[in-house]
Amino acid sequence: MEDTLRVSNLKVQFYTRRGIYKALNGVDLYLMQGEVFGVAGESGCGKTTLGLTIIGLLPVNAAVTAGEVILLGERDLIATLRKFTSKGPDKFNLRQSEEVMKKLNKELANIRGSRISMVFQDPMTSLNPVLQVGFQIAETVITHQPRSLAQRKLARARATRDDIEQIMKLLKEGADEQVINRYAESKGLRGIENQVLNVWRRSDLGEAKKGKIIMSLHSEKLGSFEKMVLQSVEKRKNIGGWMRVPGLSRAAKNVLLKEGYIEAIELLSMLEVPNPDKVVRMYPHELSGGMRQRIVIAIALANNPELVILDEPTSALDVTVQAQILELTRHLKQRFNTSFIFISHDLSVLAEVCDRIGIMYAGKIVEMAPTEVVFNKPLHPYTKMLIKAIPTIDGNEIQGIGGAVPDMRNVPLGCSFHPRCPDATDKCRAMKPETVEVEEGHFVSCFPKR
Amino acid sequence: MSEAELKRRKWDNTKLSMSVFFANKVAVVGLIIIMIYVVDALIVQFFPQLLGITNVGSLVPNFINPAPSPPSMAHLFGTTYPGVDLFTSTIKAIRIDLFYSVLVVAIGAAVGSLIGVISAYVGGLMDEIVMRITDVFFSIPYLILALAVGFVLGRSLLNMSIALAIVWWPLYARYTRSQTLSTKEFTFVEAAKASGVSRVKIMFKHILPNSLPPVFIQISLDLGSIMVIFSTLAFIGFIANASVPELGYLTSLGLNYVQTAPWTVIFPGLAITLFALAVNLVGDGLRDVMDPRRRS
Amino acid sequence: MLIVTRQLVKHFPIKGSSVLGKPLMLKAVDGVNIQVREGEVVGVVGESGSGKSTLGRLLLGLLKPTAGHVFFDVPDDVLREYDDYVANNELKKAADIEKEYSIFSKKRDRQKEIRKKTNIVFQDPYSSLDPRLNILDIIMEPIIATGYMRSKEAVNRCMELLDEVGLPKDFAYRYPHELSGGQKQRVALARGIATLPKFLVLDEPTSALDVSVQAQVLALLRRIREKHNIGMILITHNIAVISYMADQVNVMYAGKIVESGLKNDVILSPVHPYNVALISAVPGKKVKGNKIILKGDTPNLVEPPPGCSFHPRCPVAFNICGWTADEVAADLKYLIEDKYADMFKGETVISTNGNGNVMIRNVNISNLKELLNLEKEKSRSLAAIDRLSESEEGVELELKHYQAPKMYQHANRLVSCFLYAPRDEKLSSQTIDSVN
Repeated sequence: MEDTLRVSNLKVQFYTRRGIYKALNGVDLYLMQGEVFGVAGESGCGKTTLGLTIIGLLPVNAAVTAGEVILLGERDLIATLRKFTSKGPDKFNLRQSEEVMKKLNKELANIRGSRISMVFQDPMTSLNPVLQVGFQIAETVITHQPRSLAQRKLARARATRDDIEQIMKLLKEGADEQVINRYAESKGLRGIENQVLNVWRRSDLGEAKKGKIIMSLHSEKLGSFEKMVLQSVEKRKNIGGWMRVPGLSRAAKNVLLKEGYIEAIELLSMLEVPNPDKVVRMYPHELSGGMRQRIVIAIALANNPELVILDEPTSALDVTVQAQILELTRHLKQRFNTSFIFISHDLSVLAEVCDRIGIMYAGKIVEMAPTEVVFNKPLHPYTKMLIKAIPTIDGNEIQGIGGAVPDMRNVPLGCSFHPRCPDATDKCRAMKPETVEVEEGHFVSCFPKR
Repeated sequence: MSEAELKRRKWDNTKLSMSVFFANKVAVVGLIIIMIYVVDALIVQFFPQLLGITNVGSLVPNFINPAPSPPSMAHLFGTTYPGVDLFTSTIKAIRIDLFYSVLVVAIGAAVGSLIGVISAYVGGLMDEIVMRITDVFFSIPYLILALAVGFVLGRSLLNMSIALAIVWWPLYARYTRSQTLSTKEFTFVEAAKASGVSRVKIMFKHILPNSLPPVFIQISLDLGSIMVIFSTLAFIGFIANASVPELGYLTSLGLNYVQTAPWTVIFPGLAITLFALAVNLVGDGLRDVMDPRRRS
Repeated sequence: MLIVTRQLVKHFPIKGSSVLGKPLMLKAVDGVNIQVREGEVVGVVGESGSGKSTLGRLLLGLLKPTAGHVFFDVPDDVLREYDDYVANNELKKAADIEKEYSIFSKKRDRQKEIRKKTNIVFQDPYSSLDPRLNILDIIMEPIIATGYMRSKEAVNRCMELLDEVGLPKDFAYRYPHELSGGQKQRVALARGIATLPKFLVLDEPTSALDVSVQAQVLALLRRIREKHNIGMILITHNIAVISYMADQVNVMYAGKIVESGLKNDVILSPVHPYNVALISAVPGKKVKGNKIILKGDTPNLVEPPPGCSFHPRCPVAFNICGWTADEVAADLKYLIEDKYADMFKGETVISTNGNGNVMIRNVNISNLKELLNLEKEKSRSLAAIDRLSESEEGVELELKHYQAPKMYQHANRLVSCFLYAPRDEKLSSQTIDSVN
């Protein structure tokens, strides 16, 4: 199976008036389908830059001097940027940089939000304060998958009472997703299966209520304008053609928006938000931190992306709320087949959800291995010292790491950790260590002790 | 790190600030214009002979030839009624305007900032009262207030400055008040309280030095607007003395001749506008220097 | 006793919320009794909205309480006398003791003494140091302000302090922006112990630091505490840090202390349901038992739920803990719309009204009474219904009033939970007038 993501030798730097910051110095990682990969590191190690580079959200003074980011074996996401900026470090031209960034953004516009999405640390600033949260969820679906929205509603209009009764029977018999899909397909009711299954799987409603809701999903009446819009969108796969006429476009979008809200409610109930039908009409400031973060995650998952990048998603949340979100992440891992990259400075949080962890220091991944291996058999000195520095509930002894993170404008020669490493040798000071696969799946970037 | 390294760090920082400023071309233009004005004022003040100016403090009429004449070799900017050479008058007037504008800003800023800081720091009822007083001042059109003050004190340049300072201080009070309100929330203020520092000492040691500098930028940008308003007052006839070299007054002299002799209005008017523009451009550059993001 | 509080309360009025003259109050700290002995480290653990930061400031005299007392440096026997006076209603004698030992005493020299003997270290190193002063001036501030030393000796003391916190002496003339986060926090610590205080409040001292730096700062804190025998209040949401540093631990929720005792008891074998959930929520490889995931969000401090303020989220709440109108409404909604859907035709509208009761419209009252009879045993929240009253608007279900739990002794600690109340109190706790 193809890796969902493969990053090879990624080198990114930033031009500033104070000098050139080498944020990433050759990052290698791979991510398999359906797994959660943790990126751990302290401030200044480059983990946020890594996340932003993968999704291409870099500022104009950023330069990719080497490396590739390949999604599902098909596409190098940052090729455009790399081709432009790998020319020379001293030649920084603001206008040209802006041009290239515009080009990159255009290329990635239909990937972001649909195949790759990102969740940031502070949910309050990730959400638009003047729009209802349901709108913000619906908007991303309308932008990337308007056809599926149209199909949902059309399917409800086309379905007859008998069709739905049949489906209910199948559900009660315990039929799985495949069977329901095939049935819907055969009756030309594509778009109904998700709706039915989403309601059926809700955990906050009693069976009687669920049955009632599903039984109402048929013979829906459509206004003539509505019908026109939905059928056009189904055929065209987007909102275009006659619907772009000003005046009509707003009305057309509203048709899809109504359906988008319904899908948003389904999504929120999947994320265990209580009273989702009330919540979709609320504004971000009316919700608590944990709820807001769920909304952001809902937006990230709405279009079934292949990869979701989470940058410190729980750092701004309380411990008990963080536990809720981590539990949610575990459920989502099982439910969807999405791969996650989870960036955090807190190794204990990563221990809770991740399958594999990469430890970053000074712009490189210095150790990468499955979670238990990282904690039980760490090899890199930095990893070992980091684990020893974490206080745990039993009040164990902890030890800090002397020295400081290097100035990223002047990364030390040789191994960038050597000034703080207790086992540093002359070789470490002179040469950069290669990344070695010590055992299957366990990579370290360090010269072995003799 | 040694003394020498510390000094070098500070110099690097200053170099960075300067390079950010000079990267903004229009700001540099503004700075040059302001420098010209300042140099002008200094020369007229100390070495008027260099420019051939004899009567520093008054306009020199020429009753033999009182009609305004167009720019020529003898009169670079032409003359205005009654036969006053515009070039020398403008140069003299710049000194006056610059001086009094700075005076207004200085007095207004000194009084206003202090009131603003104290009001915000003490808070409570005093803050409410000060806010309402500033509200009253804001609701009075400045021209009318200045005129009223002028009638009470007498119509001279100095009194005009005082009138304007009285009108202007509430603005500075508001600026410093909002700065102080946010400075007050910094935990180093609480730490000082916990360490036993008295409230008054906290205000002078912690609040003032942190609240005022951002306001200074804003205040210096006001210099342009102040000069415009100052000239406006003189233009509408605030000053009793008929022969004071002042840009607004000079402009008013040419009012009757706008259609026939436009240069009488253009040159002094331009001198005012140019200054205001220059100040704004410099302000833009200063904002670049202050903003940590644009520094990169 | 170094620091002790009696029924400490701090309510903040919410601006612009005055309805009929009385503004709504944010009950940040709602009746807290806490104490710190000399040389002891007392941890205060809580999430956002627990009131722990407000408590820290109250303990230092930076905020004035709405009610209650904070005593500083009071001998144990005087404290016992005080409690006796209060119990026997000898208010005048109690007031004398309050005047003598309160941390809010107005006497100038008493204030100076207190400031010399207490100090605080804040969470955010970036805003707790004045950017316009150099490190020397920052550390000297408490020394000069309290008159602890004169300027020449003060400078020497500063150099000593820099040494003690592990910073090189030439940092004295640097400015805060030239230092890293960890270094700034060391400066804040040096300032905190400059006058050799007996009592230090630390408000999230390492939350803004990287893990490796945090370890260094914590080790430093331990050294300082041992060397100078300073009593500390350590406020944090990070339970592992508390475990490393503290002797006694208090867990706060919604402005009250819910569990208080020795560190090992409170953290390793928690009893209060909130504490149990909190400890199990701490991320880490060692997961003891199942994780308890709490529903809902951190509490609303403006209108705390009646009864025990944790009951809406408590997985083991029972009858006397209290029920909110929302909970009863939610249960009724399920019953009416789902389980007994056939009994109720038509659209019933279930809502909560301003009196804290439940209002149902478009419902047949006899059907409702029948449902309540059937479900009385099974749905716990229905026990909160006192009586029904019918009006033209609909049927109003008035709920009983509940009382908040006191602190009870259990398993070598104090817990504020009805599970551990003495038996007679559990039985009589039912229809008692509310404390609100």
